[in-house]
Amino acid sequence: MGASPGTAARPVRGGLERFLPLSLMLLFAVLVFSPATAAFAGQASSGQLFFYPCISCHPVNMVAGPGGTEHPSKPLPNGMQGHKIVLEAHDKLGEEACLVCHDDPTRNPGKLKLIDGTLIDITGDMSLVCYRCHEAKYKEFRAGTHGNHKESCVAAGCHDPHTPNYIYAGPVKPFVGVGFQFKGVGQARVPFKPLMAPPLPPPTVNPTWFLIAVAVGLFVVLALLVRLVGPVVVERLKR
Amino acid sequence: MTMTELSTPQPGIKRFIKIDWNIGALKTASPRYWSFVWMLIIMTTLGVLAWVVVLTTGGNAMGQRDNFTWGMWFADYMFYVGLAAGGLVVYASVHLFGAEQFRPLSRLAVLMAGLLTMVALLGDLTDLVRVWRIFWFVVTPNISAIFVYTGSAAGFYMVLCFVDLWILVTGVGGEKLAFRMTLIALPVAIYLHTTTAFVLALNKSRELWNSAVMVPIFLTSAVASGVALLLICAYILQHYHVLEFKKSMFRSLATLLATVIIMDLFLLVVEIATVYWPTAAKAGHTLRFSEFLTGPYAWQFLPVLTLGIIAFALLAGRKTRHIPAVQITASALYVIAIFFKRYTLMSMGFAIGPLGQTQNPYIPSLVEALIAIGLLSMGMLFFTIATKILPLRVPLEEHAAASERADAASEPTLEPGVAL
Repeated sequence: MGASPGTAARPVRGGLERFLPLSLMLLFAVLVFSPATAAFAGQASSGQLFFYPCISCHPVNMVAGPGGTEHPSKPLPNGMQGHKIVLEAHDKLGEEACLVCHDDPTRNPGKLKLIDGTLIDITGDMSLVCYRCHEAKYKEFRAGTHGNHKESCVAAGCHDPHTPNYIYAGPVKPFVGVGFQFKGVGQARVPFKPLMAPPLPPPTVNPTWFLIAVAVGLFVVLALLVRLVGPVVVERLKR
Repeated sequence: MTMTELSTPQPGIKRFIKIDWNIGALKTASPRYWSFVWMLIIMTTLGVLAWVVVLTTGGNAMGQRDNFTWGMWFADYMFYVGLAAGGLVVYASVHLFGAEQFRPLSRLAVLMAGLLTMVALLGDLTDLVRVWRIFWFVVTPNISAIFVYTGSAAGFYMVLCFVDLWILVTGVGGEKLAFRMTLIALPVAIYLHTTTAFVLALNKSRELWNSAVMVPIFLTSAVASGVALLLICAYILQHYHVLEFKKSMFRSLATLLATVIIMDLFLLVVEIATVYWPTAAKAGHTLRFSEFLTGPYAWQFLPVLTLGIIAFALLAGRKTRHIPAVQITASALYVIAIFFKRYTLMSMGFAIGPLGQTQNPYIPSLVEALIAIGLLSMGMLFFTIATKILPLRVPLEEHAAASERADAASEPTLEPGVAL
């Protein structure tokens, strides 16, 4: 079956090709107008942190046990080692690093310890936990000079408490994604280095006519100065 | 308005805006006077040519760059505005505090204040490169920018000084109006110097500028350098028989100068101590200041300390303070010290940028240097001509009458028979 010359075979668009422009526009609209764009770095549009979403599987609620005791509804298996969480920077806290912040795994690791020993929910204000060791930084955070005036560390979502030396950067429109992370703070304190060397200033340019005028002008000024000061000097010398 | 011949026996005097302009004095001026005037005219012309280069080739002709955004013009602005303070202090002390010994200086002081503020403002205009943009500065001011306040204050202060001079020279309104003008001029002058200091102090990201002591230190430096320059000019004009002063006036001026110098040096030492105090020192702060004590900027800052201390030491001795050579040397040293201080102040914000980048010391380009020299020459030219043609000498009868009033006010007469 051949096609007639007058009716050249029009390429038949496949399903994907037909909907490609529309799909792209729709995707663009979703990306741009999605609530996720309003989220902060390291934070989903729901407000949940991206880092180690423990509580999605291990909800922070206690159930009554035998003898009036309480235990977590779904305790972490094998202590806290089950998910191979690798600490960086905070690994300096040693073997018991987890217990510095988290409650006993046999009870509820979804509870975090404050400086006075009280426990708060892991969804609470995590900055209070940071305060235990980082008092100065906490004060800066409260003052707004650190953390861009966010209400709490959780809301800021810049640091994962397990790897606090990495900083999450926000997604860039329209590629909302989950952003990216970069190593902001080294293990060891290093002196501040500028981001780049200062640029070499370009040379100043003086027109030739200007240089000639300056030379002539300065010569005349010098001559007048000699005429002005000369007699005084001669008179003084004669004395 | 036209100039009219005055029916006085002195030839060449013409009356214009109620002032007797001694135009004839220019005709009889010595060749040396004219040599000096021509020298100033040529240097002013070189400054104008340098400005033409900026207008035609752009800001590239200046040494200011991205990391050193202010240059010679700003150092000069601070310097000249400060020098203008001396005139006001003397003028205000006569009319507000009855310091009659300074009355013969009052016209000269106000003239200097006006001219110095004018030169400071013209320096600002040259930095704009496209100078017509000043129109937008005036009609659409950014009220959160401190330059709006210092610029307008300087303009207002300059006009105020010239109006004051007119009142003093013509005698319009008498002592009463002069007193009222002082009541306006004094707060305006303080406002001007405060806002100029705020240009630096309100820069949060420039540590060495962001200091609360900036305003008082600015005021003391301004008054000290202004009084020092006034003292030098008074000696020069006395040497050329333009004005006559008593020795006691110079002694009072020198004592005032010594007092303000030590206050100025004290505030500077306080600032340095705050930066380096062991329990309060911040690494970035000391690092930045060290650039000026031992680093590549030391040649700018150390003269401030050394010349300042020498100037005070010269004036500190009561036995030597009255010697004209000592007074002039100390005054000249302190004026130079304050120039270095202004230059240093300008550099302090840029020596190490907010990102920690160390900058090479700023050296003005040929164009910038000539603009600065040209503006200075223009101010000196106006001053040289004004001292010749303006009646700057305070009439003896006015001085005597004021002295009597002051004496009467200070020494109340006792009733007969009252025991002391």
